[in-house]
Amino acid sequence: MDHMLPSPGFSIPSIGTPLAPAGEEEMILPSAQQQQQQQSAQQHNQQQQSQQQGQQQQGQQAYSGGFTPHSMMQPHTPVSNVFSYKIRNIVSTVNLNCKLDLKKIALHARNAEYNPKRFAAVIMRIREPRTTALIFSSGKMVCTGAKSEDDSRLAARKYARIVQKLGFPAKFLEFKIQNMVGSCDVKFPIRLEGLVLTHSQFSSYEPELFPGLIYRMVKPRIVLLIFVSGKVVLTGAKVRGQIYEAFDNIYPILKSFKKQ
Amino acid sequence: MASRARLSEVCCPQHPEAHLIEDYRAGDQICSECGLVVGDRVIDVGSEWRTFSNEKANSDPSRVGGPENPLLNGSDLSTIIGPGTGSASFDGFGGTKYQNRRSMSSSDRALINAFREISNMADKINLPKTIVDRANVLFKQVHDGKNLKGRSNDAIASASLYIACRQEGVPRTFKEICAVSKISKKEIGRCFKLILKALETQVDLITTGDFMSRFCSNLGLPTSAQKAATHIARKAVDLDIVPGRSPISVAAAAIYMASQASDDKRTQKEIGDIAGVADVTIRQSYKLMYPHAKELFPEDFKFSTPIELLPQL
Repeated sequence: MDHMLPSPGFSIPSIGTPLAPAGEEEMILPSAQQQQQQQSAQQHNQQQQSQQQGQQQQGQQAYSGGFTPHSMMQPHTPVSNVFSYKIRNIVSTVNLNCKLDLKKIALHARNAEYNPKRFAAVIMRIREPRTTALIFSSGKMVCTGAKSEDDSRLAARKYARIVQKLGFPAKFLEFKIQNMVGSCDVKFPIRLEGLVLTHSQFSSYEPELFPGLIYRMVKPRIVLLIFVSGKVVLTGAKVRGQIYEAFDNIYPILKSFKKQ
Repeated sequence: MASRARLSEVCCPQHPEAHLIEDYRAGDQICSECGLVVGDRVIDVGSEWRTFSNEKANSDPSRVGGPENPLLNGSDLSTIIGPGTGSASFDGFGGTKYQNRRSMSSSDRALINAFREISNMADKINLPKTIVDRANVLFKQVHDGKNLKGRSNDAIASASLYIACRQEGVPRTFKEICAVSKISKKEIGRCFKLILKALETQVDLITTGDFMSRFCSNLGLPTSAQKAATHIARKAVDLDIVPGRSPISVAAAAIYMASQASDDKRTQKEIGDIAGVADVTIRQSYKLMYPHAKELFPEDFKFSTPIELLPQL
């Protein structure tokens, strides 16, 4: 139990962000550790600035740029670089800025289904990138199923092109990624009962309702579904960096609740 | 007559420090030194009428009105016109005069309905009054907080009954609460999580032992089988043989194993009916537990069917 973390509730200003675990700190020289903390503070600032600009690519580069000299100095690397985790789904919305006739779209487009009694939108699918779009008569569109931000944007453009070819003056305004879902594996089984006891203000574990623990992290506002097998699903992110950050935050906590 | 003192307290003019004896029946305050009556027309708080001990009387004459429910808003001392006694209270056609049933406190109406629902539900599954009271208190707190206002009152009532059972240490499964309520398990689960968030409380995690006594007695199993099942389930969780399985399923599989090894055998279907789990679920958990059967049984268990002959599904 020497890896047991203090409850974040009463130690830190930003609730939900745990302290670094004791085990990993022993591997780092004290001077290097101070540098790491400075670097992570810098990298945090960089990330926040780039998130404000709203460009995911720049965020990614700033993240990796901030870490290359960093990781050369100390043995500790951010866990998200070590573990294979994937973005599984991205949901985005875009405004085509013109009123649409859903019946016409459903009749003339391929791979479109429209059932006005069931749902008031056309459901269209394309094969490359494999995505689904819900197109509403107001001109707004929701695109789901893409595996990366670029794919999502590309797919949304393709749908807009299809609508344009059908004769509507479609534009491509306010493309915004609303939700990103990622999953990863920490490769060891986890004691969920222990986790819900210590982090009770963020966790909810009801085996009767759902077999996984639902952890609502505050600092990047992300919901994590943590399972006994060690698989973790992260959702609710608007940018990729939030998923990285959430996983980096949760990994030391999960390590302390590893099943022996 | 007495003169009032500066402190607006009556006292005897000759003996200001003397203690005053109060005589309620006459309405007097009498100085204990000289006997002067200094109080006047003190209100008599004795009873209005004489009461005789009468075992057959279903109403206690020394009490006026029913018991006050502190949970409701009743402390505003409002009154209603009661049902009439005697023939003068009926008009020519036989209907009652002076009907005043309508305007009961409207804010309390939802509360009273909910309390009645909770009481009915608890009655169906024989819950004691402590749990019902706790559930009522929870409902009132949620109702006052108003952040779950949009949810159906029945759902909030069912969820508060569930939480009350958990908090008292005798949890009932969601399915058991579903059986006595009109609300779906999904909705009760949602309201449960919302209430915990709104009231900022936590509940303990459910364990297999919480349900053993209830399930076993519903199945009619002897206490030896119940003790064995409890031991099996606890050992199975400690040895982590059944990771990720709901404690109800593990409990059901443990009961199956214990009952199959003793005289009183029960089928998976029967146990599934009582516990609210599907029999395939029991089969899955049993398959995980069967290889470790030797470690799971308690040492002093009398096997009528030895471990080797336990069914292997």
